[in-house]
Formats: sequence, C-alpha cells, structure tokens
Amino acid sequence: MAVKSRGSHGRQEWRMNSSAFVILVILTAVVMLPIWWMFRSSLMTNTELYAFPPAFFPKNWLFKNYVKTLEYFPFWKYLRNTVMIIFPSLLGGTVTATMAGYAFARLRFRGKDFLFSLCVGSMLLPLMVTLVPLYTMWTRGFHLVDSYLPLIIPHFCGGGAFNIFLIRQFIRSIPRELDEAATIDGASYFRILVSIIMPAIKSAMIVVSLLLFIFLWNDLLHQMIYINSQDKFTIAVGLSQFKGSLGSDWSMIMSATCISFVPGILFYLVGQRYFVEGIVMTGLKN
Amino acid sequence: MLQIKKSNRSSRLQMRKQESRTAYLCLLPAIIGLVFITYLPLLSAFILGFFKWGKGAIVPVFIGLDNYKRLFTSDPYFLDSIRVTVYFSILAVIGCLIFSLFIAILLNRKVPARGFFRAVFYLPYILPSIAVYIGWSWLYESNFGLFNYILTLLGVSKIQFLADSKYVIPSLALIAVWLSGNLIVIFLAGLQNVPRVYYEASEIDGANGFQRFLHVTLPSMTPIIFYNLLMSLIINMQIVVPALALTNGGPGTSSTFITYLMYRYAFISNQLGYACSISFIFFIIIAVFTLILFATSKSWIYYEGDE
Repeated sequence: MAVKSRGSHGRQEWRMNSSAFVILVILTAVVMLPIWWMFRSSLMTNTELYAFPPAFFPKNWLFKNYVKTLEYFPFWKYLRNTVMIIFPSLLGGTVTATMAGYAFARLRFRGKDFLFSLCVGSMLLPLMVTLVPLYTMWTRGFHLVDSYLPLIIPHFCGGGAFNIFLIRQFIRSIPRELDEAATIDGASYFRILVSIIMPAIKSAMIVVSLLLFIFLWNDLLHQMIYINSQDKFTIAVGLSQFKGSLGSDWSMIMSATCISFVPGILFYLVGQRYFVEGIVMTGLKN
Repeated sequence: MLQIKKSNRSSRLQMRKQESRTAYLCLLPAIIGLVFITYLPLLSAFILGFFKWGKGAIVPVFIGLDNYKRLFTSDPYFLDSIRVTVYFSILAVIGCLIFSLFIAILLNRKVPARGFFRAVFYLPYILPSIAVYIGWSWLYESNFGLFNYILTLLGVSKIQFLADSKYVIPSLALIAVWLSGNLIVIFLAGLQNVPRVYYEASEIDGANGFQRFLHVTLPSMTPIIFYNLLMSLIINMQIVVPALALTNGGPGTSSTFITYLMYRYAFISNQLGYACSISFIFFIIIAVFTLILFATSKSWIYYEGDE
C-alpha cells in the first residue's frame, strides 16, 4: 500500500538525517558545557567565580592562573610518575594479551575450552572483591610498600580478559591460509605470531593499549592504596590531595583539573582512528 | 612405504607437541594472572571472611560466621550501603543505556562531522575520573555552581546537589551518564553490524523509520544491549571514586557505597577480615544480578539464525 516513490523516500531520509544532526549539535553543547565551565573557571579570579549571576566567559582570560597552579601542583613530576606506571603496564598488557589471544584463536592444546571459559568468566568478576587479598599479598607477602610494582605486575599477566577476547576475535578474522603457508615453509608458531599475526592486528593492539591506558589513567583507588609518599604520587592521587589541601580556591583547582585532561586527550587523538573499527571487529554479538 | 608413513606421523606428532608447547607458553602470563590475581584472591576473600584479622588480631583468628552475623545484625552501615549501591546502579545503568543507545543511533545516520561528534561524546570517558568528579563538584556547588544558576534561571529554588541526601545519588548517577562514552562506541559498532538486507526488506514492506527501529534495529541489537547492560551494571556497582574523593560517603550514609564501606574497613580502620566478608557478600550480590540477567535474557535476546 504505502509504496513510496524514490524521491519522497530520499526526502524523508534527508529530513531525518538533518534532524539527527540538529539534535547532535544540541547534545554536543550540553555534553561540552561542563568542560567549558571547568575551563572558563580556570581562567577567572576567585572573586569572579563567586559572583552571582555567574558569567559564561571570563572577563580577562587569566592564562597566568596556570603558571601559578604549576608552582603549587607538581604536574610534571606527577605526570612522570604516572608514565612510569602506565608505560610498562601498557607494554606488558598488550604483549601478554596478544600472546594469549593468539593461543586461543589459533593453537590446539588440551584444556583450551576450560581455560577460555575461566578467562571469559573473570570478566564478570568484580575487581573490588579481590582488593583486600591482593593488597595483603603485595604489601605483607612481598613487602612491596609504597612501590609501583603492585600496580604494574598484574598487567604482565594477560592484560585483562576483555583484551584477550578482543585480540582473539581479531586474529580469527585473519585468513588461516596465511599462517598455514608459513607453517609449510617451516616457520615456528612463535615466528608466525611475531611476523604474520602481529602486523595484521596492529589496530587491535592499539585499541587494547588505549583501553589499558584509560583504565590505568582512571584508576585512583589502587594508586591510592599502594602509594604513600608524596614524591611518588600519580596525577590522580596528586589531584585528589591537591583538592583537599586547597579548600575553596576553585580557580586553582580547576586549572589543575584542566591540565590533567590534556594527556588523555592527546593519547586518544593518536589512537582514535583505530577505535571504532577495533570494537566493530570484535563482533561482540556472539 | 611404511617407513615414510611412520616418519610422517612422528613429525606430525612432533608438530602437535610444538603447537601445544607454544600455546602454554603464550598463555603462561594469563594463567598466572587467572590463578594469582583473580581466582586465588577470590577464594582468599571468601576464606578470610571467616577470620578476625587486622585490628586486634595481627594473625588471622578463626571466628566462624561472626563477621557475617555482625554485618546483618549490628553493622550500622552495611544494609544501607547495599541499598545505596543498588539504587545508584539502577539509576546509572538505565540512564547510561538510554542515553548511549540514543546517541549511537543518531551517530549511525549519515550526518556531517560524525568523527567530531563521536570524539565529543567519547571525550568525558578518557578524562581522569578523579578530575571529572572534582570538576562536577564545582558545577554542583550550591551557591555559585552552574546547575544552580540554571535552576534559578528556570525559577526553581537552589538544590544542595551533593550535600542533600535526597539528591546525592541522582547527582552522581548523572555524572555516570555523562561518562558513558564507551557504551556509545560499543552500540555504534553493533549498529554497523546490523545486516543491510534487513533494512532493505523492511523498506520493501513499507515500514517507516520508527517501525524499522522497532522491528529491525532493536531486535538485532539485543545481544549488544545485553552486553552493555551487564558490563555497565558490574562497573557501576563497583563505583568508589566519588565517595572516596568528594562525599566521603555522606551526607549521613546516603552515598556510602558497599565498595567505599569496604575501603573504610580495610584501609582506614584496618579490619581486614571483616572487609573480606563484605567483599564476599558483594560478590554474591553481583553474581545474583548477573544470573538474573542471564536467566531472563533468553526471552528477549534475539540471535541471528534463530527462528
């Protein structure tokens, strides 16, 4: 009954796309508003901040607030400390997840199904449940107090079930003929992983490291319980202490907050090209 | 002839051996992780729940079910913390799912600057969560904050977002919704996997946009909705940063999440055994939610190939 001509269909499609665009523009404004508010607060004087009604734009853009903040908030030291945790963890997590994903995707061995279900099952396991036993293991068992090792070593242990799963799905989408040909040529399985599989799943490995980065970058709780001395604070721990020590100097708190946004944004800009593609490939459906 | 066959078989056996040896080697880090970082600590949390350990007992002392008895009969915070956690997770999960599915559907259309929009909605997720909560606490500030300014513009009286026990949980849930960029990416990926042929078929049948959404998009998205539902439930039930950094569980016990209570017992008052008994109950609560989801999922998840 309702067969439409091509033209009216195209018009309808166009109308829907443009209303989607308008809604997206409005929602973008809504979602960005908090970030704008933090940024504009970082450029104001405290008197301006405590004026009512508040202004959407600073009267003078006080970028020198940032200079002042950096005097009190040792951002570069905290950043270096954070990188000292994140860099080895990213490396360890990505490499071990790739190895495990390869074994699950390509190799035959006894106990594969069992191990795989243990692995996937651990995705459902809340991290918080193991917090106290792990804490006591690292601090009382291994005496690693005020050390980065309890934050780093776990990432050398497979890099997380989701990441293993993601790598496995990626590898399964690569034609098997490629590595079979290499087997006939006498390449070892390890050689195949390094010189055939890994180049082919570069984008998946980037996605995994991006996900690990976000996890580590966000992980206040673990950093807080394992790190005690101020010299070793990460950005997250440093920021939470900084806020507590400043009370109501909101322009300084907001500039420290805005500074801490930058490294994550930069990392995302580098990796984002691969991101949606990476998740699409995992075919989470099954 | 026989000789060749034999050597063939032995070399194949050799390869099999090499294959499984490589597999175990590749899996070794992951196996160590599963044993020592995941399953053994889980077991220890369960066992330590029966011990008094930490304050008043440097060496664990077996006390049977006393920790559990204390939790359910005399702990002034525990039952409240369950209520708070469940209330928050339900609000946050529903909000996150609706918001992120909606954005993903919009982003899946042929709109200009899609990459830009995607980055915008993903952006909150990549900011350090502590910074996000600090920033939002300024937005929620009762006299000079953005939200109260908007309320006064609308002629509504000001609200103590984080200092009023009525509003603290919804306020924190709103931040969780703002942070749901990763769900958008996963939904978007799912939408791009919906087979085109279904849309074409429904178009021939004369379905309009909304009907197509209801009969094609939504059914083929159910597995992804399920995945996001499960994962965001598990993540939101474990929320701890806002209580840790902003509210300290207050006002009163209104934002004392189970995880925060556990943190307080373990790391502030040094009652490790007791904290373990909390973490084990917490594990059971999440397991029950997960099982309920899995049990009901069969009736609403549509898998391709099923009739």
